[in-house]
Amino acid sequence: MKFLVSRYNPDSDAAPYMQEFEVEVPRGMMLRDALLDIKRQDESFSFRHSCGEGVCGSDGVNVNGTNKLACITPVSELKEPIEVRPFPGRPIIRDLVVDMTQFYQQYKAVKPWVVRNDPMPEQEILQSPQERDKLDGLYECILCGCCSTSCPSFWWNPEKFHGPQALLTAWRFLADTRDQATDERLDALEGPYKLFRCHTIMNCVEVCPKGLNPTKAIGHIKALMLKNSV
Amino acid sequence: MSRKASGLKAWAIQRLTAIYVGLFALYLLLVLLFAAPADYADWKAWVGGPVVSVAMLLFVVSVLMHAWIGVRDVLIDYVHPIAIRAALLGVIALALVAMGLWAAQALILVRLT
Amino acid sequence: MALKKRRFDALIIGAGGAGLNAAIQLANTDARVAVVSKVFPTRSHTVAAQGGVNAALANVLPDNWHWHMFDTVKGSDYLGDQDAIEFMCREAIPTVYELEHNGVPFSRLDDGKIYQRAFGGQSQNFGGAQAARTCAAADRTGHAILHALYQQNVRARTHFFDEYFAIDLIRDDEGAILGALIMEIETGEPLLIEAKATVLATGGCGQVYRTTSNAHINTGDGTAMALRAGIPLMDMEFFQFHPTGIAGKGMLITEGVRGEGGYLVNKDGERFMERYAPNAKDLASRDVVSRAIVTEVKEGRGVGPNADHVLLKVDHLGEEIVSKRLPGIRESGRIFAGVDAVHEPLPVFPTAHYVMGGIPTDPYGRVIVPQGNGEEVVPGLYAAGECACVSVHGANRLGGNSLLDILVFGRAAGLDVIENLKENRNHRPLNESSVETAMARLTRWDQKGEGISVRALRDEFRKTMEDHAGVFRTEEIMAEGVEKLKALRDKLPDVRLSDHSKVFNTARVEALELENLVDTGIAIAYSALKRQESRGAHSRPDFPARDDANWMKHSLYFKQDDRMDYKPVRTKPLTVETFPPKERVY
Repeated sequence: MKFLVSRYNPDSDAAPYMQEFEVEVPRGMMLRDALLDIKRQDESFSFRHSCGEGVCGSDGVNVNGTNKLACITPVSELKEPIEVRPFPGRPIIRDLVVDMTQFYQQYKAVKPWVVRNDPMPEQEILQSPQERDKLDGLYECILCGCCSTSCPSFWWNPEKFHGPQALLTAWRFLADTRDQATDERLDALEGPYKLFRCHTIMNCVEVCPKGLNPTKAIGHIKALMLKNSV
Repeated sequence: MSRKASGLKAWAIQRLTAIYVGLFALYLLLVLLFAAPADYADWKAWVGGPVVSVAMLLFVVSVLMHAWIGVRDVLIDYVHPIAIRAALLGVIALALVAMGLWAAQALILVRLT
Repeated sequence: MALKKRRFDALIIGAGGAGLNAAIQLANTDARVAVVSKVFPTRSHTVAAQGGVNAALANVLPDNWHWHMFDTVKGSDYLGDQDAIEFMCREAIPTVYELEHNGVPFSRLDDGKIYQRAFGGQSQNFGGAQAARTCAAADRTGHAILHALYQQNVRARTHFFDEYFAIDLIRDDEGAILGALIMEIETGEPLLIEAKATVLATGGCGQVYRTTSNAHINTGDGTAMALRAGIPLMDMEFFQFHPTGIAGKGMLITEGVRGEGGYLVNKDGERFMERYAPNAKDLASRDVVSRAIVTEVKEGRGVGPNADHVLLKVDHLGEEIVSKRLPGIRESGRIFAGVDAVHEPLPVFPTAHYVMGGIPTDPYGRVIVPQGNGEEVVPGLYAAGECACVSVHGANRLGGNSLLDILVFGRAAGLDVIENLKENRNHRPLNESSVETAMARLTRWDQKGEGISVRALRDEFRKTMEDHAGVFRTEEIMAEGVEKLKALRDKLPDVRLSDHSKVFNTARVEALELENLVDTGIAIAYSALKRQESRGAHSRPDFPARDDANWMKHSLYFKQDDRMDYKPVRTKPLTVETFPPKERVY
């Protein structure tokens, strides 16, 4: 099958360009396998990848216009020629490798850890199965960045808008019954930028390789804010 | 406006005004379809009624607030140089206020004359 | 251009569970701690651990740490050090509670306590009924733990060097470790980090085999750095093949599937584990189940067009259990095997999974080497996690004990570094010649011209490891393998890169990893050849019995001259009675 991959080496190229490769596609081949095959043909081709099973979140790329995780994307589901580009809106370091610094900064900005003011019990903090269920669909995020880099609001304001990933994480901690910083978290999200740049475009929901729903999480945050302010 | 107003309040106001504008627009549509005023005097009597005139004024204010928040959102998204954005926001604010005053004047004059 | 240098109190190489749990201890004090990772921390392979972490919390069934200790000693085929095992099983309980306080979203029981599931090799009352000891966050426990630990380190403002590759340890003439030379992958620039204490937490080396559940990054970097620093590797012949990898692909299907009631069948639909382990059946120890599967396939009872795998039945559990307790498995089955576990059995075959051996340490994470008739600590060097060998897993690791190992000993190493820093307030003087040696390892790859490609040598090496150091091992197969592997090692100087660019050059990273794979792989094959008995994961048809008289000892492999040495197993626990060796039946 014909692949067109984006190439860019800052040492030698003025701008990114597309290069064509021919890859033999056996049954069950994932896009990551195809990219590895291309690397066999040309070892200078660079992309991030690791676990190969969709849990480490390294190999997010833009394929035929959609952000996907290469290792769990069957090549058979893609239209030929398969165009593979780096995530949109991020500075390109090399080939498919982009600079995700701002994405990680936004993640860190929502204080992604349980805040507990009460003294810790000797054993576990109790939590009912129903309370724990609220974290399903939130904690599974693998930080691959497919969502935030497909979000137009994040493209326009990556330094100020938290983006869908960080907001999903914000809700993961707001929804955790063990966390005791609800007011601080909500106050921190106030203002026109961090939360309210979301215009429910829902690209994030469409691309999430883990089937998570950041837009819904953002809706929950807004509803909770409203409830707590009236 | 306080700092708080720019996030949650703006978002809530945008939704509340949307609901009101939607409902009032539906009401307007029904009136125009089934009980449209026959002439100016008829129209004047309808608009000049106490309930309708207050509701109409509220409608105008809602539309303007909704527009303000919407336009402000678009400018925040796309216009990053702060001076240009402030200037655009100023012009739009002036225009919206002018529109509001004009509509209020019309409604008040209808009541008075 | 002068080499850039940074100084920290402690340097941690690797940002998986062990590295991050060591880092958080240090970061919570006022120590300056640097964590170097070749990938962004949450991409570390701890993220892939599925089933859970063992601790005798007794939330579901009666339990205590002493039973856990017995199971671990038995599971290790009596090669584990019983003092270290006692330490781990006792520490397991506060460690899991600490994790929960740190925000890990464990699954819950109706009374609000942490959910615990059944896992292989776990019993109540010293070999009695099945225990429920494995604390789980659905089937994403490693992911949940790794993210929580990273988040805690972000809170504590640990200094992260993300996407930096460790080239080599720096040491002085007395053998003390002074830090490490690392390389920023994004720019290709070297950076020297001087530290009063260095912790190796680089994880496993599953990539030495062709079919593995391990990630692309698991290339034995820490074990190879230790070897090059003159430190031996212990018990490397014990490599665990996980019974249930997705056939032909290697992705893992957690033991938790069998813990929840799944079982294995052959082509006749027979639940064959009943023959190999009448009591524990599908929850027998991993080495037992792996050998059973390979035997079934060898004797022609395999499934599929090539009769090369068996089936793992889950469909009888019902959709609710599968989607609630094993959602990740259902997803993996769908994606990689094209099978919905709710309706159809999963095709499985053993896959290279975990190295029990590693850098020899004591229970405080300090690296120890033979000295005269005894042992001594390597000043300034610690190791924790899969790259280390304490040894708690001995010849075979129990499921749920690897997350436990990395957390307990990562934490212990971090705490011991804190103590160590109180005594060693200053950096030792830098040793320039050691820095030059490390730099040479990096600049060697600037050589241009024709040569063998990294990829070609890597592929051949991994294939040879699979064929000659796999599940069943005979003298003939392994001796031939060691010769082949050494021949491949001799070709290393002829390997050339065609890409010499600086910026994010992954080819150069893979070249450096290849050297690590070769050193670590040969340690495995060589140690395996020399051990003439069958114990745990090391199974020799030509020496089918365990030989406690001659072989109840740890092996030590030194890179220099491929030398072997041995040291006794520590059979005396800290406070309780020794568990004497017994025949291991499940």
